Amino acid sequence: MSINDATARPNEDGGTGVIGAMDTRLTWEGTVGDNEQVSSITLSLPEGATFDHSSTRITVLDGLNRTSIEGTATSADNSMSVQFSEDIPAGSLVRLEVTGMQFPAEGGDYVVSGSYTTADGQSHALDDSAAITVIANTPLQAAVSWLDAQPWVAAWNSNPFLGMFFKPQLLLASFASLFPGWLVCLGIVLICYPFAIVLGLAFAMLKTSRHKVLRAIAICYINLLRGTPLFLQIYIMFFGLPMVGINIDNNVLGVIVMAVNSSAYLAEIFRAGIQSIPQGQYEAAASLGMNGFQTMTSIILPQTVRRVIPTVTSDFITSYKDTSLLSSVGVMELMMFSKNLTTTSGNITPYMAAAIYYLIVTLPLIKVVGIIENNIARSERGGGPRPKRRAAADASDEVATAEQDLASSATVFHAEASKPAGDVFAALSAPFVSHPTVDLGGVADGE
Amino acid sequence: MKNSMSRRQFILAAGALAGSAVLAGCGGSSTSSSSASTDSSSASTSSSDDSYTLVKDGTLTVVAELGFAPFEYMDDKTGDPEGFDVDVIKAVADKMGLQCEYLPNQKFDTLVPLIKQGGKADVSIAAITITDVREESVDFSEPYLDSNQAIVALKGSAETRETLNDASKQVVCQGGTTGDDWITEKLPNATRVPVDDVTAALTGVQTGLYNAMVVDLPVAKYMLTNSFSDLEIVEEIATGEQYGIAVSKDNPNLTKAINKALEDIKSDGTMDSIETKWFGSTI
Repeated sequence: MSINDATARPNEDGGTGVIGAMDTRLTWEGTVGDNEQVSSITLSLPEGATFDHSSTRITVLDGLNRTSIEGTATSADNSMSVQFSEDIPAGSLVRLEVTGMQFPAEGGDYVVSGSYTTADGQSHALDDSAAITVIANTPLQAAVSWLDAQPWVAAWNSNPFLGMFFKPQLLLASFASLFPGWLVCLGIVLICYPFAIVLGLAFAMLKTSRHKVLRAIAICYINLLRGTPLFLQIYIMFFGLPMVGINIDNNVLGVIVMAVNSSAYLAEIFRAGIQSIPQGQYEAAASLGMNGFQTMTSIILPQTVRRVIPTVTSDFITSYKDTSLLSSVGVMELMMFSKNLTTTSGNITPYMAAAIYYLIVTLPLIKVVGIIENNIARSERGGGPRPKRRAAADASDEVATAEQDLASSATVFHAEASKPAGDVFAALSAPFVSHPTVDLGGVADGE
Repeated sequence: MKNSMSRRQFILAAGALAGSAVLAGCGGSSTSSSSASTDSSSASTSSSDDSYTLVKDGTLTVVAELGFAPFEYMDDKTGDPEGFDVDVIKAVADKMGLQCEYLPNQKFDTLVPLIKQGGKADVSIAAITITDVREESVDFSEPYLDSNQAIVALKGSAETRETLNDASKQVVCQGGTTGDDWITEKLPNATRVPVDDVTAALTGVQTGLYNAMVVDLPVAKYMLTNSFSDLEIVEEIATGEQYGIAVSKDNPNLTKAINKALEDIKSDGTMDSIETKWFGSTI
């Protein structure tokens, strides 16, 4: 009898390693030789491995067809044996799947050895298998095992909802194994966004152009991309390009699709922003003798940038979330990792971990959008920052001024601006707060 | 003013509708589950201990991933589920005196959790291999079919099990399948790419996005004959795995009833005719 293969199922939570002293499944596969019939097989592992409490699934195949030979497995310490109900004919393939066995705790490379008995009662040694690499316990796994042993964790998990959605052990394991996916998500959206902004600006210019043809090009581009689902665009690019012989790395292609898609939305945002600048600004620029290009770059665009920042940030949030769609075409991002983990664990917790990873980025950004919008609204009401006071102004004077100020939010800002750290804050936020603004109209459709 | 009034009225009306729908849903489900238990106990022929619960009275509610031809797929024209598994579960339901109803298509990796949670579907039959891990979550009926795995690659690509076990190779599979497990364990060096549906995976192999796919052998054979003629099976992997019908662990009597029905359709030749219909011969 010859051995084909011996492998162990990875038992690292969210990983691919085989960890010692934790339940795993050993799969052993062998072929019965030409002139023999096998009645029993014994497998053994080095000292420290245990087959206690294991259960064995026996599969005997003739070619691709299953034969109905069964067997009884007995296990003792580091070896186990199977006695078959009838002799296995020559040429058959035998697979033993031993669930619930453990490799030695210290890790290392282990070979499965053993023996078999032929129908005539003779015992023969089995060839050693290729080595199975086992790793010692990882800190993460130790933490998970610690959680496993806690009574409160067991009580928590006994609630079907909590156990299915927020299993602490799995949450911990998910955070660790989802991390690379999160980096991919962030990477894709951070790399794609500058390109999207440049492309979007270009198409916004085209759309506000005086030439019919340029406008038509921009309108086609924007409407086609905004009028079709991103999911469809991803499918077209990922399956279409290779069909015409263009092979691009998955991650790069992901960046391209996301950039092209966002650029259409950004183009509309920029277009609305540009058109929201009052006509008087153009006239003022013309009266200073500026040409069209100068007007655009030094008068219109700087004001536009200020106005579109909240909407662009919202679009950024959308793009970041939309990277999840790339999981359907095999980009190894956050959703992909959590999906994998959910399929192996049969538990929803990895998705919850993914949700937390998304929220880590989106919640602060949403907050930022809120702050900027408030500041714009305040400057519209005329409540923006006053010209800076003398640096020598003493604190009591400051408080007195603040008390007179009716708008409390402005007060806070004012008091803050007087401190040294506040100066930096004021300088950084100045572009967002000082400008009079009109309603942005159609900008909100950037979603 | 008039405009805002009508909008408010609309919202109120919509809210009322939604609320009543939710209430009706709750009421409906609670009554139907209680009546289902009484009804099915009277329907089952043996003693009252054999009673099982059903999500919907008199109906076996089935959930599956309907993209796994020839086992289950949606008919091109009608959109109805069709396939070997569909015929089997219809025959089983018939023997149990029940109607058979399919829920909308679900992703494969959600089927076992869905049955485990209960409340939506009674059983799932979707070429689900009986494995130890899945048996921790759900009960399985007796196996109704033996299967194997296959490695599918482009014709003439010269890929083998050995060449695929390399960090530069992307091997695709349907997420949560035994093919997925097989790649994890037997091709540890390759990049495993689980996707949602078989067609997307095979299209990816066809276009060169992935190097190969690991999928159940009968599905590979069917798909390659019907739509992916430029792919070939480069290796048949004898796993001898067996498909079973997944049932909630809270419903052991349903498993028993299904096992009995399976036995019946095996003994009266229904199973043979279904096998002949889909595979050209009995297996």
